[in-house]
Parts: sequence; structure tokens; C-alpha cells
Amino acid sequence: MLSNLDALMHGFSVALTAHHLLLMVAGVLLGILVGVLPGLGAPNGVTLLLPLTFSMDPVSAIILLTSLYWGALFGGSTTSILFNIPGEPSSVATTFDGYPMARQGRASEALTYAFVSAGIGALVGIVVITLLSSAVASFALRFGPPEYFAVYLLAFASFIAFGGGAPLKTIVSLALGFGFGMMGMDTVSGSMRLTFDIPELIRGISFLVVVIGLFGLGELLLTIEEGPEFKGASGRLDPRGMLRALASMPRYWVAVLRGSAVGVWMGITPGGPTAASFMSYGLARRTSRNGVRFGQGEPEGVIAPETADHAAGTSAMLPMLSLGIPGSATSAVMLGGLMIWGLNPGPMLFIEQRDFVWGMIASMYLGNVIGVILALATVPLFAAMLSVSFSIIGPVIVTVCLVGAYTVAGAPFDLWLAVAFGVAGYLMKKLDYPLAPLVLAMVIGDKAEDAFRQSMLMSSGSLGVLWSNPLVGTLSTIAALFLLWPLASALLGWRRTSKAMRLAPPEPGA
Amino acid sequence: MLRRLHLELGFAACVFLVGLVGLRGTADLDTGWTSDGPQAGFFPLRVSLILMAASALVALNAWRARVALSRVVVVEGEGGARVLRFGLPILGMVLVAQWLGLYVAMALYLLGAIRFAGGRRWTVALGVAIGVTAVTFVVFERWFSVPLLKGPLEVMLGLG
Repeated sequence: MLSNLDALMHGFSVALTAHHLLLMVAGVLLGILVGVLPGLGAPNGVTLLLPLTFSMDPVSAIILLTSLYWGALFGGSTTSILFNIPGEPSSVATTFDGYPMARQGRASEALTYAFVSAGIGALVGIVVITLLSSAVASFALRFGPPEYFAVYLLAFASFIAFGGGAPLKTIVSLALGFGFGMMGMDTVSGSMRLTFDIPELIRGISFLVVVIGLFGLGELLLTIEEGPEFKGASGRLDPRGMLRALASMPRYWVAVLRGSAVGVWMGITPGGPTAASFMSYGLARRTSRNGVRFGQGEPEGVIAPETADHAAGTSAMLPMLSLGIPGSATSAVMLGGLMIWGLNPGPMLFIEQRDFVWGMIASMYLGNVIGVILALATVPLFAAMLSVSFSIIGPVIVTVCLVGAYTVAGAPFDLWLAVAFGVAGYLMKKLDYPLAPLVLAMVIGDKAEDAFRQSMLMSSGSLGVLWSNPLVGTLSTIAALFLLWPLASALLGWRRTSKAMRLAPPEPGA
Repeated sequence: MLRRLHLELGFAACVFLVGLVGLRGTADLDTGWTSDGPQAGFFPLRVSLILMAASALVALNAWRARVALSRVVVVEGEGGARVLRFGLPILGMVLVAQWLGLYVAMALYLLGAIRFAGGRRWTVALGVAIGVTAVTFVVFERWFSVPLLKGPLEVMLGLG
């Protein structure tokens, strides 16, 4: 523990330079912009910025990208509260009580509750990372291919068990991701797979293009369908309302604690921020004394999802850093970035790249504090920006997405792919197919397959290696149990918890 | 108007088709499991089969709930028209980009989308189209030296 504190101090010395602070401010501001604009969210914001970081050093690059992530999480809440339009999927639950509060003229209060509780949730997540990450990493150093495969399997299985969607649709999403991820050269045998003799498919399909399509263009189509103009509460902030909210914040410590716990759990197991915020909202509504007032502008209904959202967003970095397994769609994109910058995600990072790891963790503390301040300070600015008609902003966002899709590999073919995945994303959202598993499966699917095939090489093709020692045996058994979970719970008719999480999607305009 | 039942069935059919194409793609791969474990085609084959099975089950579930699902409207006429008006120009932009480059396609798309789909004045549309394209050019070509797709026009102007 004490050595972690030392390492963290070292991290602060890396992160606390004028250059990095500037990057944090720039990242947070860009993030808020991306979060506020519908159609641009954290996953594709990071994706769009990624090609521009190739020439940066990894520490600066990750600080910029993670700061953008925090900013996007904050910005998503602004539009949820003021306009009833979630700028991010993970802030959908914030609209339930945030928008009613804004309609009652308590927008300043709602925003303060949202940002402060989000900041606290984020801090809890980062403290967990600070305390646990190096322990997890040193534990993971003993991992061989079978252990790695078991952990990957556990990640996929927990999506099916706790992801919040219908298990069958999660399976479809995962399988689509695996399938797209397999296209191109097979890393073990060197043969071409699923390329159908189309030259453009030889390098495979980039998950970055898929993210831009699914989360960017798809989300835009959904926004445009619900109506093109933003109608909302005024973005003017009232300092007295903010102070009132700050003063009564301590009263909601139970909600904050509960939300943080849910968020950290959902972030580490790859449930992601969206599932976390819904789960936290559902839990709060059922267990809180104020439960009946939820949906009518109850502060606790803002605090619960916001805390969980950010706690999940930050703690999703823990498995990404220490195991090389992303806990959310956005951290999946960052994981891809790590590999492009020439870093090898996983436990060796903690030994070989101490500056990178602890600089990033330290920047998370700073970035979120900056985030809370900037998010509050820029509410009027971004609210005013949304009053620019969507008939102008919409097409501009489209061009940003397509330019981003092209920069991934400089391939005109990718533009078609982005559009195709945009249509797919629109339809999948309509039908409640979860999108995050698809991205996750694309990013780590081939790593999981490599780990599996290496394990099979070790054991001459026997599955017994997955139960060959207590560690890997435990992991494999838990993964198997998670896989059977939907079946078991369906048999027991015990679906109440997942029902609360499937509360989404909200009625448009409700 | 599009009802949930039809969309569920249609999308499940698409997923099934993707599985089928995947299955076809594994035909010339070794899908077996030898003493050194699964071969290159092993997982693609299984994933294709899982896709086909899962989509069939989704379709079956939807069919079993057809009475309820056919009452749910997922896309209304008006909203759907908005989606098409917004989406088809995007296709146009991608098509034009293939031979005229991204910059020209982008400017034309912005102009068309803001003027006709958005119903804004010509001056607004022209301003945004030229402004955004110019900013993109400076940011990508000059600041970050990430070249974007160019067509004959840029070559003619000596920018390519």
C-alpha cells in the first residue's frame, strides 16, 4: 500500500507539468463538447482523437484521451438535465430526475448535484485503482495463456450475466464482434480468414471504424428521428441554487456510497457505465426512503446514476491497465491506442512503464477535479451552443465522423463500412441489442483466441488445462457459472434485478 | 410505420445471413481440432453457427410475442422520413468521396444537407460548408499532417 503512495507521488510529478495540465484542460473541454453533442460520445470521441495522438509520447496521449473521457461523461449529463437529451448513453438515467428538476427551475441545483456526485464517484473509482491496480498486476504477472484465456472468458461471460440486456441479444452482439474481429490474417497460422478474396478485407475490419459507425452515425440517426430541435431549460446558472445543492449534498451520502459501489463493481467487471447508471438508479429507487418521488425531480435520482456512471468510467481503467482487458467500450478504444503507441497492456506495464501507469493514474485525480470545475463553468456556453439549430450541427457531426473513419487507416472503403455500421447501430439500438459487447469482442476477441490456442498448444489440445491449477480452475469455473446464469435465472423466474436495469430506453420527450 | 415485430424479424434475418456468409467463408479453412488445439477455421465456424442459432432464437422469441410486438411502433412515418432525409445524403457524400475526395464531398454534402434537408438560407449553408471544409483541411493537412482522401480537384489546385 505504502509503495503505491510513493508511486502515486511519482505519478503526480509526471502529470503535474504545464504541458500535461494544458492537455487535461484541452481534453476535458473537448470531452464536454463531445459529450454535449448528440452523436458524438466518449467512445467515438476518443476514436476520433486517436489518430492525432500517434505522434505524441504515450503519457501525453493517454492524459489527453482519458481527460476527454472524463469531460464526455460530464458533458453527457449537461444535456440530459437541461434538454432531456442524453448526450451519452450512460447519462440516460440522469434524465429521469434531472430534467424534471430543470423544468421546476432547479437546473442549477440538478447540475451541481450531478457534477459533484459524478466527481465523488470518479474519485472513489480512482482510489480503488490506486490501491488495487499494482496488486492485481503483480498477481497477474503469474498468469500464463490459460489464466489469460480464463480472465477473457470471465469478461465475456459477465457481459452475458450482468450486462443488463436480453442475454440472447448480448450473445448476438458478442458473436458479431468476434466474427468481425476474426477477419483478416490469422495471427497463429498466418492464413487468411473470412476475407472472401476482397482485397480491402485483408487487413481486417478496424474496430475504430465500427465504433464511429455504431456510436456516432447510429446515435445521430436516433437523435434526428426524435425531432431535430432542442427545447430545454435555460443554461443560466444561479449561484444560490448551486450553494444550496452543495450544502445538502452530505445528506445523500448513502446514495453516493451505494452508487460508487455499484459503479466500481460494474466498471471492473465489464458491465460499463451505462449498465451501472441504470442499476444504481433502479437500486436507489427501490431502497431509498425517497423512492416514491423518483421521476418527479428527486435529487437522489440524479445523484445515484451520476455517481455510478463516473465510478464505472474510472474503475474501468483498472482491468485495462493491469490485465489488458477493457471494462467499457471507451476503455476498449484506449486499449487499442495503447497497442498503437507501442505499449503492451497488461501487468508488465507496471514494471516497464511506471511513468506511464502512475502518470495516468495521477492525471485521473487532476482531470476529474478539473472536469467538475470546467463542467460547471462552461454550462452556459455549451447550452448556448445547442441552441444553434441541429440542421447545422447534425451535418457537421456527420463530416467529423466520416473524416475520423477515414483517418483510421486512410482507406476509402472504411467510409462505406462506417455508414453500414451506422445503420446497424441505429437498428441495434432500436431493438435493444447492447453495443458495448460488440466492440469489446472485436478488441479482445483475437487476443482471447490467441490465449486459448496457446493454452491448447501447451496441453496438446486438452481442455483440462483450464482447470490445471486452483487459480485458473477458479476463474474458469466462475466464468462457466456466469455463462449459465441467464439460464438458471430464467429457470428460477428470478429476473427482477435485471428488469430494473432494463428500464431503458426512455420514451422520447417524456 | 415500422412495427417492432417486423424490425426484430428483419434484423434477425440479417444476422442469420451474416452467419451464413461466415459459414461460407470457413469452407476453405481447416475447422478441426488437432493435437495442437483448434485450427484457423475452428472459431469462425463456431461463431457463424452461434450467430445463426442465436438469431433464429431471437426470431422465435419475437414470433412467440408477436401479438404484443406488432402493436409497438418503433419507427413512425414522420420520424422515419427525417431519418431518411438525414441518412441518404450521407450515402451520397460517401459515394462522391470515392472519386472526388473527402474535401469536395464534404463541402457538397454540408451545402446540400443544410440548404435542402435543413431548409437554411444559401448564405448560411455556403458559409458552413466552406468554413468547415477549410478548417478540416488546415487541421489535418497542416497541423497534424494526416492526409485525407483527395480527388482530381485538389490535384488541379496543386494541394494534393
